[in-house]
Amino acid sequence: MGEKILLVDDEKDFLTVMSERMTARGMEVTTADSAQEALQEVESGAYDAIVLDLKMPGMDGIETLKAIKARNPTLQVILLTGHATLEKGIEAMKLGAMDFVEKPADLNVLTEKIKKAQARKMVLVAEQTEQKLKSILQAKGW
Amino acid sequence: MSPGLTLVGQSGLTYFGRTTASISHELKNALAIIKENAGLLGDYLLMMEKGMPIDPARFKTVAGRIEDQITRADGIIKNLNRFAHSVDDPVKAIDLNETAGLLGVLSQREAAMRQIALQVIPQEGTLTVTTAPYLLLNLLGRCLSICLQHMGAGKTLSVRVAKEGDKACIVFDALDAAALASAGSFPGESESALLSAVGADCRLDGNQGRLIITLSNR
Repeated sequence: MGEKILLVDDEKDFLTVMSERMTARGMEVTTADSAQEALQEVESGAYDAIVLDLKMPGMDGIETLKAIKARNPTLQVILLTGHATLEKGIEAMKLGAMDFVEKPADLNVLTEKIKKAQARKMVLVAEQTEQKLKSILQAKGW
Repeated sequence: MSPGLTLVGQSGLTYFGRTTASISHELKNALAIIKENAGLLGDYLLMMEKGMPIDPARFKTVAGRIEDQITRADGIIKNLNRFAHSVDDPVKAIDLNETAGLLGVLSQREAAMRQIALQVIPQEGTLTVTTAPYLLLNLLGRCLSICLQHMGAGKTLSVRVAKEGDKACIVFDALDAAALASAGSFPGESESALLSAVGADCRLDGNQGRLIITLSNR
């Protein structure tokens, strides 16, 4: 099964073409053209990676990243930025972004990062599940 | 250099940097869409090489999208060019309608980021003033930013060019009076220096929700 991706950008034409190209590469892509829509999607869907534009009207990418991480810390976010400055990158990483890519993005590079995100999420979910099982076993005294 | 001129210089550089950064971001967005559509054409060709039929209408759609983005990028570069040439003459006669129009296109992205609609209303005919074109644009840009900072999302800011007796005005309209009151320190040092440099006055009309810049050198 392909990676489940949430693609967030306020440029609708960008969403259309990226979605078509990623789908052709076997990914299952959902799009959102605002932070609000993205947050609703995060509530309802399980995603392997979220590709998020840094500059959006209203709530920008950094604020959206914080809100996504507050809802689900295992979600892996890759930031898309017009100008990938080291400063922004460090800020994004500190807030829990997995990586960042400069626009115009190379789809092969982005695909690699998405695969890494999926693997990282699987490890985090497995760790969480193990932790939960340990807690249950300890609580029940088995 | 006098403190006033230093402030004008600093303000001018800040405005130039901020505006070109915003323009370059817009261009990057257009280029990203063109790049992905070119990539999609490559994907279609690969599929065809593997024997998958592709509907010619899909090529037409992609070509249309590329053309739209090139038109968009061309418009952005034309505006950047107009902006760059605003420093050509330290002082000259300008049509305020054109200045307000340029201010509008340069500030669209800043307004959109705050989810505020921006509307420029020209004065009928031409309204000429003799002033420092770049410094005036800088002053108006600062005023517009202050207005945007004190408006809520979902509103419309109108920038209207008007005659007031023998003077010419730029009116920033439909502001929130309470929000304007919170902009108490306006005009600050930089704005005052710019007002003096372009020979303009400003006033805040809380009742009408307006910020008015008046130029007398017609």
